Amino acid sequence: MRALNQFSGWLFVLMATALLAWVYLAWGRDHHQWAFPSGWLLLGMMVFLTAYNARKKLPGLRLGSSRLWLNLHIYLGFFGVVVFLFHLRFRWPTGWFEIILAVLFAIVAVSGVVGWILSRDYPKRLTTQGGEVLYERIPIVRRDLAAQAEAVALESVGTAKSSTLADFYAAELHGYFSKHQHFVQHCMAREGALVGIRQRMQEQDRFLNDAEREEMKKLVRLVNEKHALDFQYSLQTALRMWLFVHIPFTYSLLIWSAAHVVLVYGYSAGAGTVPMGGAGG
Amino acid sequence: METVHLVTDKAARWDHSFDPELGEDEARAREHVERLLQLAPFKDITEKKLRSVPLAGILQHDTRIRRLRRGEIVMRVGDYSNSAFFILSGELRVVLNPPLPDSVIGRAKVRRKGVIESLLQLWRNPSYPEVRTDRELETDDALISGASSSGQAVLRNVDGILERYNTLTRGAGDILGEMAALSRVPRAATVFGGEDDTEVLEIRWQGLRDLMKKDDALRDHINGIYRQNALESQLRRIPLFGHLTKEQLVKVRESTEFFTYGDYEWTGEYKKMAKDGKMLEKEKVIAREGDYPNGIFLVRSGFARLSHEYGHGHRTLNYLGTGKSYGLREIYHNFKHPNSPVSLLNSLRAVGYTHLLFIPTAVLEEHVLPNLPRQHRPEIIDPSRLKAAEESPTENAGQWIGTDTLEFLAEHRFFNGTAAMAIDMEQCTRCDDCVRACASTHDNNPRFLRHGPSVGKIMIANACMHCADPVCLIGCPTGAIHRELAGGKVIVNQATCVGCNICAANCPYEAIRMVETRDPSGIFRVDEKMKPIVKATKCDLCNEQRTGPACEAACPHDALKRINLNDLGDFARWLNR
Repeated sequence: MRALNQFSGWLFVLMATALLAWVYLAWGRDHHQWAFPSGWLLLGMMVFLTAYNARKKLPGLRLGSSRLWLNLHIYLGFFGVVVFLFHLRFRWPTGWFEIILAVLFAIVAVSGVVGWILSRDYPKRLTTQGGEVLYERIPIVRRDLAAQAEAVALESVGTAKSSTLADFYAAELHGYFSKHQHFVQHCMAREGALVGIRQRMQEQDRFLNDAEREEMKKLVRLVNEKHALDFQYSLQTALRMWLFVHIPFTYSLLIWSAAHVVLVYGYSAGAGTVPMGGAGG
Repeated sequence: METVHLVTDKAARWDHSFDPELGEDEARAREHVERLLQLAPFKDITEKKLRSVPLAGILQHDTRIRRLRRGEIVMRVGDYSNSAFFILSGELRVVLNPPLPDSVIGRAKVRRKGVIESLLQLWRNPSYPEVRTDRELETDDALISGASSSGQAVLRNVDGILERYNTLTRGAGDILGEMAALSRVPRAATVFGGEDDTEVLEIRWQGLRDLMKKDDALRDHINGIYRQNALESQLRRIPLFGHLTKEQLVKVRESTEFFTYGDYEWTGEYKKMAKDGKMLEKEKVIAREGDYPNGIFLVRSGFARLSHEYGHGHRTLNYLGTGKSYGLREIYHNFKHPNSPVSLLNSLRAVGYTHLLFIPTAVLEEHVLPNLPRQHRPEIIDPSRLKAAEESPTENAGQWIGTDTLEFLAEHRFFNGTAAMAIDMEQCTRCDDCVRACASTHDNNPRFLRHGPSVGKIMIANACMHCADPVCLIGCPTGAIHRELAGGKVIVNQATCVGCNICAANCPYEAIRMVETRDPSGIFRVDEKMKPIVKATKCDLCNEQRTGPACEAACPHDALKRINLNDLGDFARWLNR
């Protein structure tokens, strides 16, 4: 069922693109007025795509399921990129206003695609890894792990009558436990993050007595737990962060687009006289 | 903000009598109690049997007398309700078959928020958590009494109904609705007043429970009436007995035995067993694998686990809920092939509280099996392919949803949920749109936690599952937590909740939270002893919203589903969507 929905979605994008290309080649390429219908189409689509956020704020109204809205958002979003390119007539934007508008559009589109990719990949990775912690609880768990690690290090001074382990903790591990680490490595699924710390912990082994080795085992366990927690934090943060780019830039884009419409109509004195380059040209 | 307290009366049991007038008018209450104490079965109950709860208190606060008109509806088929009815005088009519259409019995509609109201939620939701307006805390008489609004509904054309529908007449001394009230199952039939001025004593289930616990005679009395009245109509609705003549059905009825396994209040035991991790070993065996199949078991209420020996343990194959049976396949095989008999292929164990009907093999062989219609005949067991037969998908639900998942559902007793919140964690992006939607439809208070036990990619979140057997209802002193009359959602009436924590402690799934309440200006509500006014809160499946559960509609990735885990077919379809 899901595969069928995806197929229908891509088929829609393909067919709509073909239709748009046909209209463009048959008429739009040779007419100044092309900018108007394609521009209004693009603006209408952008308003509709932005309305998804409003749908989320109104869960008490029968406005269709969020799933339906997201599907429309994704496929119309992809088609929106196509419309944007046709609206630009496949040329680089000119003038600071057009460039800002195009950059905003690009940021919104790219952040959307990034979010789409992350949404498909990261949940599987989070589930496969296991040890799920609610995002809001991650700082609490991290603080708890840090406190445990510090307690182990301090305890070793008393039990082993030596500060070797405590010194190692202060030099190498205190910083590791004090904040989230290796954000990029976790996001990119690189396992190298933990290798360095493990190596340094193993190197310490020859300097430790039996009592300290027991304490070191506890530290190894805590480091592993912290590593798993960092993984959760990194992926869950990434799953949220892209929206902090996508949504604010969407509203900026809408404002600039509205200004673009005003300028186009203000300076063109009518649809028939608008120059090929648009308002910013 | 400066700490300010608002003194509010703290509710207690019997603050709100079933009949409000009996709570306020002492003289009338005395007269009511004295009258009932002259009647059976109350006249035979001695006070010393009711140590902690006085009989007079039960009769005063947990009962009320209703005088019915001819055609006035007392209960409707399919409703969940919490009270039983003793007939004091006159007669009641029980509609047998076919059931009356919904439109005829005037089924009440749930009040839903309008479009404007839903829109205004955006701005009107309070800024403080757990705000209760004075209006919300005003007593709603209909809900306090637990009475259905059908009490007011009267059938227009009684004579026409009596002509078209099969009805049974019940008279003075009979009790109706006790099994539905006590077993927390839907009402089995629609019942209405058979003549004008019929007098019935309605007793809410908390009172009936206390009486039955302490009085053997009453318990036997109710069981006896149940066999005489309800059992036959119940058996008639089971397809297996659909082809029997009236005489044959009476024979089956007379031979039917009742068995109850486990504890009515099973949740405490369950929590202990879950902690020990020895759930299956401690479950009472109803029928043991390898034993002679001496009859079929029909699950009347509660759940039973079907398991098969595997290695040194038992593997769960399925669980049987209300209406399901076990044993017929083996019995039918032995009936057809007496020279190659088989023993029970699997074991049946009671999960929590299980109420069963048992029909002996000899009775089945004499009355039921000889003319059993083809569509109800079970598959014959091929002893040479016994292993394959045991794995048949009709018995082994693990084949559809995975053995691990089935064990998980059974161990956590999630099969109890009619609207469990299942989340596919491989689709869920942890965006919390579900939590936000829940909050905005509940005055900014999310009613679930997006966290809970998981197996593989499936997590069952900590949200009320609106259980088939809602143990949270047990022990509520005021009946504040109740099943909605139509639909079966479990709802907490904020007005009558006394904040006693019994429901939250009973809930095996930790889906009910106790919260300290505030008034709309953010001031904490406290009683005269300056103790906070605490209320139970939980998911209400967005009962007042037009959209159904907002959490499900808000999930962009099709990852969250409110699902009936009683029906593994639904679950399997969703898993393999």
